[in-house]
Amino acid sequence: MDLELKNINVTLGDKNIIQDLSLAVAKGEFVGIIGPNGSGKSTLLRTIYRIIQPNNGTIWLDGQNLKDIKLSESAKKMGVVGQFNSVNFDFTVLDMVMMGRTPHKSLLGSDTPADYAIAMESIQKVGMEKHANRSFSTLSGGEKQRIILARALTQQPQLLILDEPTNHLDIKYQLQILSIVKSLGIGVLAALHDLSLAAMYCHRLYVLKEGTVITSGVPNEILTPELVRDVYEIECDIQENPATGYLSITYYPTCRHA
Amino acid sequence: MTHLKQQPFIKYDAVNQKNHIFLLLLTGLGILALLSMLLAVGLGTVKIPPDIAYKIIAYKLFHLNIDNVMSQVSPAHMDIIWQIRLPRVILSAVVGAGLAVCGTVMQASVQNPLAEPYILGISAGASLGATFSILIGSTAGLFFGLGTAFWAFIGALGASFFVLILSGIGGRMSTVKMVLSGSIASALFIALSNLLVYISNDAEGIRSVTFWNMGSLAAAKWDNLTLPVFGVTLCCLFFLSQSRTLNTLLLGEEAAITLGINLTKVRRLYMIITALITGLIVSVCGIFGFVGLVIPHVVRGLVGSDHRRLMPGTILIGSIFLIWADVLARIILKSGELPIGIITALVGAPFFMYILFKQSFDFGSK
Repeated sequence: MDLELKNINVTLGDKNIIQDLSLAVAKGEFVGIIGPNGSGKSTLLRTIYRIIQPNNGTIWLDGQNLKDIKLSESAKKMGVVGQFNSVNFDFTVLDMVMMGRTPHKSLLGSDTPADYAIAMESIQKVGMEKHANRSFSTLSGGEKQRIILARALTQQPQLLILDEPTNHLDIKYQLQILSIVKSLGIGVLAALHDLSLAAMYCHRLYVLKEGTVITSGVPNEILTPELVRDVYEIECDIQENPATGYLSITYYPTCRHA
Repeated sequence: MTHLKQQPFIKYDAVNQKNHIFLLLLTGLGILALLSMLLAVGLGTVKIPPDIAYKIIAYKLFHLNIDNVMSQVSPAHMDIIWQIRLPRVILSAVVGAGLAVCGTVMQASVQNPLAEPYILGISAGASLGATFSILIGSTAGLFFGLGTAFWAFIGALGASFFVLILSGIGGRMSTVKMVLSGSIASALFIALSNLLVYISNDAEGIRSVTFWNMGSLAAAKWDNLTLPVFGVTLCCLFFLSQSRTLNTLLLGEEAAITLGINLTKVRRLYMIITALITGLIVSVCGIFGFVGLVIPHVVRGLVGSDHRRLMPGTILIGSIFLIWADVLARIILKSGELPIGIITALVGAPFFMYILFKQSFDFGSK
């Protein structure tokens, strides 16, 4: 499963949010999108998971034009963990995760033991098996996020789209969620806030500013203090930790009276 | 080295067992619904012993002349049972199921626990249609003798399409726009019918408008039963087949789309079907609230939010509720009968309060 975007433009109202953006995710590749608030990360992802129509440009999913694929077909290939997961009506955790089977089911098809097995495996992967019978609304923000991930995994997708998947999570679960996702070996496109985590998990990064890709490439090569200053307007120091090989980023306080 | 075999944390048996319990509950409700219908036929202002009532029905249906019943019964009793009560009980069962199902679908479609079948301005539209027909249509001798029911239906449909179009202006139909458009339509149509009432000098007409707005099942006859029965049955069957989609709608617009549901198309279809069915119901028996709002919540409290359980439960409990509400409407006053809208609101409101506080505003956690 690969994803390719060619010259995508998105306009919301009369504002250009995404301009002439091209991007690719190869099979099994973990790709991150970083950029400041309002740089168009969420809009870009929502365009890919078909909430927003691009004004022009083409999205190719597995070699097919996304426009020509039925929603129910693309939902079998692409799982999504979005930012907003509040629900007015309540379900148990298991019921919630079982909904991930929806795209695979016909109108009157009933849930088979195999469907339950897939759902339970997903719940186990996110470490929520003790809470399978609890009601979703009683979970904490981080637990909800993990259940939504489990639901997306239950779709058995070949590509995962994650919009700030580590929001609300403490550091243990931030690392856990990204590790789970990476261990699946499927294609991942994730908008991330934390530059260190992005550098740690992503094979490649796209850096977004004002709706366009400023640069892209291997994290350790492209993440420099100059880039961070240009994109986020802050000063920082970036070094490769000799013991771990991971980037360590130290930020300087912003000038208070600027 | 031995491995401890890890127990799966949920056994499929447990899921199966839950299904068995639900089937048992459903069968129980089905029997209760049938029993309610039979009992309701025997109750009313005119006392007719239940055994006579059943013998009359048996005679009419199967030509069974049990205990030579036909020679003991007066033709008046015969008519009360066969021409008045039985059609009325059937209508109340059908209308109860229809309103409850439409309410459930509306709540899922706009993801709002406070939605009800009249949310698209249907009641205001129907009311305007009925007012128009009662106050102007009849006096002017216009409109080829088409009755109040017809104009109420037209009004209901007009209002809901007005709302659907209004909420679709300027991009994707959103639930907030839909709810607000419903309020706008209601305000507009209520103002128009008040205007009609104000400028007309027809005291008798105004009385019938008021009565019509409080709802009644008294109009039930074999002739006007066919359309509601067929309509509601088809609607119930259709929405029973849509349980999975309805479940995903509850998760919100984005989640539904990422699970492969063509939200715009599905929602428009559901809205049109509920508008047609509610319009049909309103045209036969006027407006009465709370059934479509309360019953889905009651059933959610019993079986949870999953529409595969919720839908069948809603259909049966909606029927049972309205059968008994109508019985109350018929027997509570010694002279004449009470509009059913008063009963459904008087029973429904406190019951709804109880449910809200018992579940501490937690919709359908099970």
